[in-house]
Amino acid sequence: MAGTMSSMAIKARAQSSRPWPTPWAWLLLPGTVFLVVLFVVPLTGLLLLAFGMPNWTLANFARIGDTPVYLTVMRNTLEISVTVTALAFVLSYPIAYALTTGGMVLCTFLLIGVVLPYFTSTLARTFAWIVLLGRNGVVNQFLLELGWVSQPIPLLYNRFGVILGMTHIVMPMMILPMYTVMSSIDPKLMRAARANGASPLAAFLTIFLPLSLPGLIAGILLVFIYCLGFYITPALMGGLSDVMITMAISSQILEQLNWNFGAALSVVLLAAVLSLLWIGSRFFPIEQLLGFSDGKLSSSVTRRQMGAKMLMRIGSAANALDRWLPSMRGRGVPILASFLALLLLLPVLIVAYLSFSASSYFVFPLPGYSLRNYEAFLFDTLWVRATFTSIRIALMAVAMATALGAMLAFGLSRGAMPGRGAMIALLLSPIIMPTVIVAVATYFLLARWGLQGTEFGLALGHAVHAIPYVVVIVVANLRDLNPSYERAARSLGAGPWATMRTIVAPLVLPALIVASFFAFLASFDDVVYVLFLGIGKITTLPMRMWEGIRQDISPTIAAVATLQMLFATTVIVVGTLLRRQKKT
Amino acid sequence: MLMKATVNGTDAKTASITLHNLQKRYGSAMAVDDVSLSVSPGEFISLLGPSGSGKTTTLMMIAGFEMPDSGMVLLGDKDITPLPPHRRELGVIFQNYALFPHMTVAENVAYPLRMRRMTKAEIESRVHRILDQVHLGALASRYPHQMSGGQQQRVAIARALVFDPPVLLLDEPLGALDKKLREHLRNEIKTLHKEVGKTMIYVTHDQDEALAMSDRVAVMHEGRIRQVSAPKDIYRRPADLFVAGFVGEVNLIPVKLKSGIVHGPAGESLPSPPWQDADGDATLCVRPEHLHLEANAGSSGGIRGRISGMTFVGDATVLEFRSETGLQLLSKVLNVSDHSMEVGDPYVASWLANDATILTK
Repeated sequence: MAGTMSSMAIKARAQSSRPWPTPWAWLLLPGTVFLVVLFVVPLTGLLLLAFGMPNWTLANFARIGDTPVYLTVMRNTLEISVTVTALAFVLSYPIAYALTTGGMVLCTFLLIGVVLPYFTSTLARTFAWIVLLGRNGVVNQFLLELGWVSQPIPLLYNRFGVILGMTHIVMPMMILPMYTVMSSIDPKLMRAARANGASPLAAFLTIFLPLSLPGLIAGILLVFIYCLGFYITPALMGGLSDVMITMAISSQILEQLNWNFGAALSVVLLAAVLSLLWIGSRFFPIEQLLGFSDGKLSSSVTRRQMGAKMLMRIGSAANALDRWLPSMRGRGVPILASFLALLLLLPVLIVAYLSFSASSYFVFPLPGYSLRNYEAFLFDTLWVRATFTSIRIALMAVAMATALGAMLAFGLSRGAMPGRGAMIALLLSPIIMPTVIVAVATYFLLARWGLQGTEFGLALGHAVHAIPYVVVIVVANLRDLNPSYERAARSLGAGPWATMRTIVAPLVLPALIVASFFAFLASFDDVVYVLFLGIGKITTLPMRMWEGIRQDISPTIAAVATLQMLFATTVIVVGTLLRRQKKT
Repeated sequence: MLMKATVNGTDAKTASITLHNLQKRYGSAMAVDDVSLSVSPGEFISLLGPSGSGKTTTLMMIAGFEMPDSGMVLLGDKDITPLPPHRRELGVIFQNYALFPHMTVAENVAYPLRMRRMTKAEIESRVHRILDQVHLGALASRYPHQMSGGQQQRVAIARALVFDPPVLLLDEPLGALDKKLREHLRNEIKTLHKEVGKTMIYVTHDQDEALAMSDRVAVMHEGRIRQVSAPKDIYRRPADLFVAGFVGEVNLIPVKLKSGIVHGPAGESLPSPPWQDADGDATLCVRPEHLHLEANAGSSGGIRGRISGMTFVGDATVLEFRSETGLQLLSKVLNVSDHSMEVGDPYVASWLANDATILTK
């Protein structure tokens, strides 16, 4: 039965994508060409380079297998990624659960706890952890104060630090897909389970958990892939023995200038990511978790019974225990979730607090308040110049990403054409693929055109990275834009262009503004592209922070990180307000 | 038509439900305000009211999903107020049924039994028996989304009845369905009630449903029960203006009571039943189908005016009548034979004394 149902669904989908391209579909052309040239071509080039083109060889791959160092790198990468993913999963689940089931106040707090760190740049958050965990960091100061340790303990530049920092940074990425799926579960089902004699625990195990599985799988998958390709945090927080594959790639390309071998390492990472995505897509349409959904979650998905039988048995056993379990009156999860969300927020909040220090060291609590760090930022020509470089590049990237992304979004929403699914996959892959690989591949391409180390070249890279965000936001908005408004305008005498100008544009404008803000953030926060495409000639704001963190941990960075955070918060607030305004 | 035998043998359980002064407040809003109600064993009672009237909150307090701020819920003579929902042993049928989407029909129905840790053999035989009773034996391995709305309702019924609860709570189960199906399923629930003899508490905002199915109807408004009576009395003897207006259509005529006579807006005397209240202002309620238009005023009196509009509604014609003082009244006449009424004709609106109700509140 299930088989025939799903094959029917496939047939229906095939039929709906069969019609010839409609005029709307032409809007897909510019963006597609852009992505093919700046994303598909470079990745293909990377692949060819790894195989030694034009002298075909497998020597590069053989070298990876033969060198114990690289086997250790692979093992490190796997160990760290698995640990971080597992930890992030365990810590994220209560937050996602409480977000779905909690009241207004709790949800607002939790959402702030998830979203604010999510949009604060990885660099700023990593910096926060370095300040917290350092030898004279806030945590060690506390431990000494409390007398729990007699001398500072090493928390940073070792496995512990990397795992802690990475877990903190990936948690929002784990929570958001979990939350998407959990919030689509009808709360009446839980009530029905309770009415049928299930204790709260049994109802959770037999109903909620199995129905939330697709979201869990997707969250785990996305986070695991992100960990495999994670560069910034491991590079800044790891010790010498914690080299991950991304660091090996960067060292081969940037330091050893061994492009073929670096490309081979990238291909290994790419192959791992692609096969994980392929496995994941068997369980869940991944594009939906990135916010890209054409319709409802398909019903066949909810029916995948992974271990549901076993959960049923455990749930029924848990029910018998109910009378002996201590009752928290349903407060256990909200309290745990609030505590975890507080931990998510804390590092960035502490850095913001420390940025107002009157001392040139990080001392907790502050010896006195002052704006000296902000002054140091504003009156230092190097910092100011870096800021303007960042803004220039971001504006170029935003212009390209918003224009192309909006056209792609319109084409996808309104145009019918064959190969739509492949199109969506292409559009979204720049944010799923490890940034390091894309940056390396783009670097090879730009080097061929002589665009390496130019601001325009960097903006091209950022635009590729920002297009998916623009498409996701605009597509979501176009779904609300009922075509009958446009038909009404046409029936009232407006021509196609007048309709576009008077109906579509005003309704889509807020989404375009929000999308361009996020595109701006994506470019403004980036370090990885600058590292590869800038070849040391371009110093953006994050690049200057990156160098600052590597050399000395200057308190000026705390001020910059706080300003970045403030900017991200403004973007979120403006985005929310624009969206609300549209609804009223 | 369905469910020929009583569920799970001949001695199916049933019990009374008693609500004592239930109160529930959300912030400053009183959701349920001092609600008391006794439901006898085997009775079918409806909680009828507009949205926000507190009917669903009341049902959720009986089911245990909401804690009352004060008051008690008794099952038989046992106080179940402090019990969590899963220990109340009440069957609940939810709006849209809340069938578990990741379980087959058989797994859905087996769920309450598994939660009660019954043996595998016992579960199998009970599930088998009840699915046969609701004529779903052949569809046991299907998933809910593969079934029609009517079949889903039967699964929900089977799931709620399989553990033989004494009371069944129904929370607007027909809320989201189309009209034809609603009527069909309404009859199915009514038949079910006759056959299983369980106490049923049915929440609805649909007056037709409440009137057609219930032994008694409790009309709720703003957190309070305004009237509890048999459907016929709710309709014919509304206790207050809200009930009169909410259930069916009604003509409300402002009148003055003076020394045993009802005076209409123009001072004319009007037919009415005897009343106990003191003289003063009151409202006379009369249903459109009880309001007749006659050529001349009879001995019991009536309101003079003209026909101002006519609407043909199939089985009947609704006449709009405008009195000389400008009062708009409706009269409903069954289309059993042609009549010669025309818009603009002068008539006297009247009714039988017993068909009217005097409300002084």
